[in-house]
Amino acid sequence: MRPAGSILLLTTLTGFAFGLLAWIGAYAALGLLPAIPRLGITGVALGLLLASLGLAASMLHLGRMERAWRALSQWRSSWLSREGVCALLIYPVAILFAFTLRSGHDRVAVRLLGALVVITSLATVLCTAMIYASLKPIRQWHNSHTAPGYLIYAVFSGALLFALLHTALVGKPGPTDLIAAAAAAIAWLAKYAYWRHVDAQKPLASLAAAVGLPEDVQVKPLDAPHFTENYVLREMGFALARRHAAKLRRMALGLGFALPLGLTLIASMEIAPLTTTAVALACAVIGLLTERWLFFAEATHVAALYYGRGA
Amino acid sequence: MTMLPDAAPGAKRLGLVIDLDTCVGCHACAVSCKEWNNGGKFGPLPDYDKQGPEPDGVWFNRVHSYEVAADGCSSTVNLPRSCLHCENALCVTVCPTGASYKRAEDGIVLIDPEICIGCKLCSWACPYGAREFDEEEGVMRKCTLCVDRIYDRNLPEAEREPACVAACPTRARHFGDLADPESGVSKLVAARGGKSLLDGLGYRPTNQYLPSRRATIPAAPREATSGTGEGFGGALLRLLDRALSR
Repeated sequence: MRPAGSILLLTTLTGFAFGLLAWIGAYAALGLLPAIPRLGITGVALGLLLASLGLAASMLHLGRMERAWRALSQWRSSWLSREGVCALLIYPVAILFAFTLRSGHDRVAVRLLGALVVITSLATVLCTAMIYASLKPIRQWHNSHTAPGYLIYAVFSGALLFALLHTALVGKPGPTDLIAAAAAAIAWLAKYAYWRHVDAQKPLASLAAAVGLPEDVQVKPLDAPHFTENYVLREMGFALARRHAAKLRRMALGLGFALPLGLTLIASMEIAPLTTTAVALACAVIGLLTERWLFFAEATHVAALYYGRGA
Repeated sequence: MTMLPDAAPGAKRLGLVIDLDTCVGCHACAVSCKEWNNGGKFGPLPDYDKQGPEPDGVWFNRVHSYEVAADGCSSTVNLPRSCLHCENALCVTVCPTGASYKRAEDGIVLIDPEICIGCKLCSWACPYGAREFDEEEGVMRKCTLCVDRIYDRNLPEAEREPACVAACPTRARHFGDLADPESGVSKLVAARGGKSLLDGLGYRPTNQYLPSRRATIPAAPREATSGTGEGFGGALLRLLDRALSR
């Protein structure tokens, strides 16, 4: 599948945004948010800003941007529609939460709204993941790894952002750096397990099945319908060389998870915590963008079979 | 409305039955489709870089040719590929706007170009690659089963069929109601063992493909006709044959 920049930005930025909101909401719900309203309010503002940037980027993907509002109508059947509805629900919930935060921490309202922020944030990430996980023609997406993966990467990226905010606003690292380190380790394992899973997958179908013939029949493409690339081939026939993929996978694991893991552990020992957490975050941004690029570039679509390309 | 419609009792399931035994891969169906839909209710169908080195454009129908080998024999199979108007049309249910829909009355899958936002998700959901993006209008396009022809009362009844069916010079394309077991297309599917493409994915396509048959009529020896014949007529024919064979 062709990796479109707008979608990479959408899924990565909203991962950071909704992950951060989920952590702030969870801390508030558990009554753990330090008695500095600034942390919660700044976090909510940053989360909403990043989410808005991501959603704005996703608009660039549309052929008719001015009709985007129509995408909110089919939530009964479409995960994309549900994603839009959930993403917009976060705004009133998070803003109400931030206002309630300003007026004290131990109130029941803060805890309840915090829980609501967690639910809406993670629900949006889940909807995003389900857009991909529900697409039967793409085996690398239509599996049990996709939805948990997206949730884990969002929780991890949000934890990093939360750790940086905590260190910046509270002045010293809290348990947030250790939480981010643990999340990095889990995310690393999740990505590793995903690649093991897709590497062991068999092709979704044979060219014989695509042509309606029995499996034991050998079918070879003879003539394509057209000599130049068309929409189907550009969008769904995207192929990535295996050796490039291996290099990019190492880059995604190293920058996305391994370096942030090490750096947040160093930060939690109060060794230049602000700088190390900031570097960890920068690495994670590049690593996760690479990971997301690969998620698309390595995905094969069964329609490419008709042109003799692998699926 | 992107929920799939409940099948109303007695509802039609209009679709195509394509005979891979008689399709010669001439692309007449694809060209005729392009021509009709360039001007019809859903036109124009865009073309890009028309005279340039990388011509491209939106087509609802694409004809592939494959070499098929079984039991030590190989043959050519031509496969016209277009929207199969599936029963489980994932392209419809993934649509966030309701632009993509399946008609309850005849099962035709259509896109409302006035509502489509061009998110392209439906094209990802289709395993047959049947949907193509219109870069000029910013919306998705697909086969309409010539819905603007098949119900057109201004056309003589015999012409109320999709343009691709009307154009096929070998009559390899058949149009009809696949929900009615007594229809011509249903009988053809039953008699010839019609197949669904990518059956295992569970989209339950309406369009069916009739597999190519192995020739079972033994060919007569080639020399037998020219050598026979007695008397003057036979001698004259032999002379003529020799003269023409030179």
